[in-house]
Amino acid sequence: MVVGDVTTGTDVLIIGAGPGGYVAAIRAGQLDLDVTLVEKDAYGGTCLNHGCIPSKALISATDVAHDASEAEAMGIHADPAVDLSAMVGWKDEIVDQLTSGVEKLCKANGVNLVEGRAEFAGENTVRVAHSGDGQGSESIDFEHAIVATGSRPIEVPNFEFDGEHVISSRDALALDTVPESLVVVGAGYIGMELSTVFAKLGTDVTIVEMLDSALPAYEDDVARVVKSRAEELGIDFHFGEAASEWEESGDGITVRTENEDGDVSEFGAEKALVAVGREPVTDTLNLDAVGLEPGEGGFLDTDDRARTDIEHVFAVGDVAGEPMLAHKGMKEGEVAAEVIAGEPAALDYQSVPAAVFTDPEIGTVGMTEAEAKEAGFSPVVGEMPMQASGRALTLGETEGFVRVVADDDAGFILGAQIVAPEASEMIAEFGLAIEMGATLEDIAATIHTHPTLGEAVMEAVENARGKAIHTLNR
Amino acid sequence: MVREFKLPDVGEGVAEGEIVAWLVETGDTVEEDQPVAEVETDKAVVDVPSPVNGTVQEIRAEEGEMVPVGDVIITFAVEGEDETDATGQEESTETRTDTATETDADGAEGEAAQAGAEAGQGGEVSTADGRVFAAPSARRLAREQGIDIATVEGSGPGGRVSEHDVRAAAEGGASEAGEAAEDDGTGGEEVTSAVSDVSDEAGTTAESGGAAGGGAGQASAPSAADRDRTLAAPATRRLAEEAGVDIDHVPTDEERDGEAFVSPAAVEAYAEAQQEAQAADTAAIAAGESGAGAQEERIPYRGVRRTIGQQMEASKFTAPHVTHHDEVDVTELVETRGELKEVAAERGISLSYMPFVMKACVAALREFPMVNAMLDEESEEIVQKKYYNVGVAAATDAGLMVPVVGDAGNKTLLQLASEMNELVEKARERSISREEMQGGTFTITNVGAIGGEYATPIVNHPEVAILALGAIKEKPRVVDGEVVPRHVMTVSLSFDHRVLDGAIAAQFTNKVEEYLEHPNRLLLE
Repeated sequence: MVVGDVTTGTDVLIIGAGPGGYVAAIRAGQLDLDVTLVEKDAYGGTCLNHGCIPSKALISATDVAHDASEAEAMGIHADPAVDLSAMVGWKDEIVDQLTSGVEKLCKANGVNLVEGRAEFAGENTVRVAHSGDGQGSESIDFEHAIVATGSRPIEVPNFEFDGEHVISSRDALALDTVPESLVVVGAGYIGMELSTVFAKLGTDVTIVEMLDSALPAYEDDVARVVKSRAEELGIDFHFGEAASEWEESGDGITVRTENEDGDVSEFGAEKALVAVGREPVTDTLNLDAVGLEPGEGGFLDTDDRARTDIEHVFAVGDVAGEPMLAHKGMKEGEVAAEVIAGEPAALDYQSVPAAVFTDPEIGTVGMTEAEAKEAGFSPVVGEMPMQASGRALTLGETEGFVRVVADDDAGFILGAQIVAPEASEMIAEFGLAIEMGATLEDIAATIHTHPTLGEAVMEAVENARGKAIHTLNR
Repeated sequence: MVREFKLPDVGEGVAEGEIVAWLVETGDTVEEDQPVAEVETDKAVVDVPSPVNGTVQEIRAEEGEMVPVGDVIITFAVEGEDETDATGQEESTETRTDTATETDADGAEGEAAQAGAEAGQGGEVSTADGRVFAAPSARRLAREQGIDIATVEGSGPGGRVSEHDVRAAAEGGASEAGEAAEDDGTGGEEVTSAVSDVSDEAGTTAESGGAAGGGAGQASAPSAADRDRTLAAPATRRLAEEAGVDIDHVPTDEERDGEAFVSPAAVEAYAEAQQEAQAADTAAIAAGESGAGAQEERIPYRGVRRTIGQQMEASKFTAPHVTHHDEVDVTELVETRGELKEVAAERGISLSYMPFVMKACVAALREFPMVNAMLDEESEEIVQKKYYNVGVAAATDAGLMVPVVGDAGNKTLLQLASEMNELVEKARERSISREEMQGGTFTITNVGAIGGEYATPIVNHPEVAILALGAIKEKPRVVDGEVVPRHVMTVSLSFDHRVLDGAIAAQFTNKVEEYLEHPNRLLLE
């Protein structure tokens, strides 16, 4: 122990106040545990500060501008001017409101908040180093620990983030002027979302992707709708090209890429945005001291109670493995807290929904048709094209579809893929259906509001049953 | 080429198994999935199927020998199979023989879970991917009850598992519950109680189903198993399961090593016969009045009946019940009541034994306040009541109702009698108000009024105890060394073991008995 070090004790020590960590802290507080939450940066973690919330704020704001400028068919003629600095300021207000909300909720639930960087110092001790010179450190003894340190953007070799020429998604969400041109490295969901934002703000966007398609995690026809809309927005795609190096040139940079055959291409732009994925933060924790070792990819292995190999240490959120999604982390946080409190909680959810806020949005949950077959089901599939949706027509957004995958024998809903406006909202119904063990008939027999996009869910289900009214049955 | 076959992991956490019997000999031709050996572990006897079509080349373990998992027990000669293929198939067989009892959220263990059903774990539900379809509330209940939901048979559409199914499994699936409860400290006590309430029949069936490696999914059809043990290939068991028949019920002439052996054809024939019989039943019912008459009548589960059911269910599955039984010599009470009855009748009041019992209970409750309590589950406090509102269960045409005689501690015998009579009458006429059935602190039920010695009453939740009275009968008893006829009544006190322990329950019952044996002591109360 460092001389002067003050050791305090707590039932539950949580490292990281992102969605996994703060939810765990609040629930543990509700369960009358003594909880200490350590955060080195800002309450709310990546999601609130540098991810979901700021990106969705900017996506919504740019949609307003873009939709207004594109609404001539509706008889609207507008030429909106965008002040990115003001837009970012508005976004920051939302973020501030939410992060201070998290802080208040934690306090209201009796959570002790400690600011600093925590690392394990023993099986039941962490040392928290406070930021700033002479701020010192403190040791905290714990009965249980929950690791919720989240993830950070992966860097590409030769493309270290400098915040100026090579920027991360986090930097991109804090720009105060719209770049004239941008090379985006990576066509995964973060690359696609941000490319859409900047293309709508008038940036000349070029995407280089090592693989041969956009959104490789999604089915071809899902990705195709989004990619073709992105092309309509003027985004230029280059597949099968890996970013290899960059150099300054004039006012901007030149990014060099190489394809499989070693052919080199050059792309000039004001900045390069690297969005090739995220990696868990487990290397700053001195895990050895508590007897833990990260597994493949740096993730911590956990069981269905969010417990690591060490009985009294739990891991939630991005550090606990894919999918790295805030809502998965929140559920894990809840379960970890409840398990520590002695409740019979477990991570026995059947599916984790996912949403991509591109144009149109993607919402998915459960199995695809191929995955259902692989799992041994005989899947039946139903689809509703958004072109047949009255509400989609009135929105002027008719690209995409709602697809449902169900088990042909009993009709249980197994999964759904939606590419449509508000797909991120619509997917929730299928998530509930999967969790409830609902069948096609259950959804079909549920009256859906007209005229809404949600009706497409009912129609897709009816299509799977061969009873669709508003489309031809397959 | 030669295929080595290692003893697969035949059960979760099982390190070794005993070769009970070899079902093949060296030189025998075997088909894939044909059982070649029976292996017994501490959990079950399972058939080990051949992974290949081939000839038995060498048997490397003796019958009766304990073999560690992973040791080669038999080799097969297989024609024209290359090395890579062989390895792949062996792995796949090992997985399929694995007995998975937990559902994996990722579905990665799906095949194993399904194979668990094939390998004959009683009651295992089989769906593609090992997926169990159930709502989160049912899953949570399963965890609370310490039950692996993968072992629960669903009665909902397509086999969806409901909370009701989980509760039913909690009563019937004792063996799984015990295992699952090990790592779940919170559910332990409830599980123990649930196990103790398992009826012998259901318990034995579930266990024998597992031990015999058969009867998958048939835990709900326990009656008259034709055989205790049936040999059949896993594929045949699967077929039986899909057809919804118990493989132990399937008639067969075939035998292997003195044990009945069922073929797929036999299963199909039996399933067909079953279906025909069912169809005949359905037709008979449909024929209705014109035919021999419906053999069944469907009565909606509604209203009072359902309310009673829900109340019973809530009580039974919340409070771990224990029942304490005893008998009491009420000869003096019979005499006393005989005398007082006349006096009461003159005042227009019918005096039964119940007011005496109420009075005796109140006196005993004063002495044992823990019995006159409730458990406030939310705030985790035991609330001792300083007032005595005694519920008296009354059988009515609509079902069981429990009118409550308020403030019984301050009322005379005749007041109790008249008030109770009035309430019971109102209950029978269905004119009783909801308030008149609420606020009880202790309940008495007179099962003996209709007949019977002992009962296991369900606690009127959230009260913590209920006393059931048997019939008063003349029985021979030894008094001062001589056998004489005495009036004897049985009593059964069910109590919530979370709040009360057996000792207090027994002491309380003794005190009630003391007053009933010597009713004049009630004068002091």
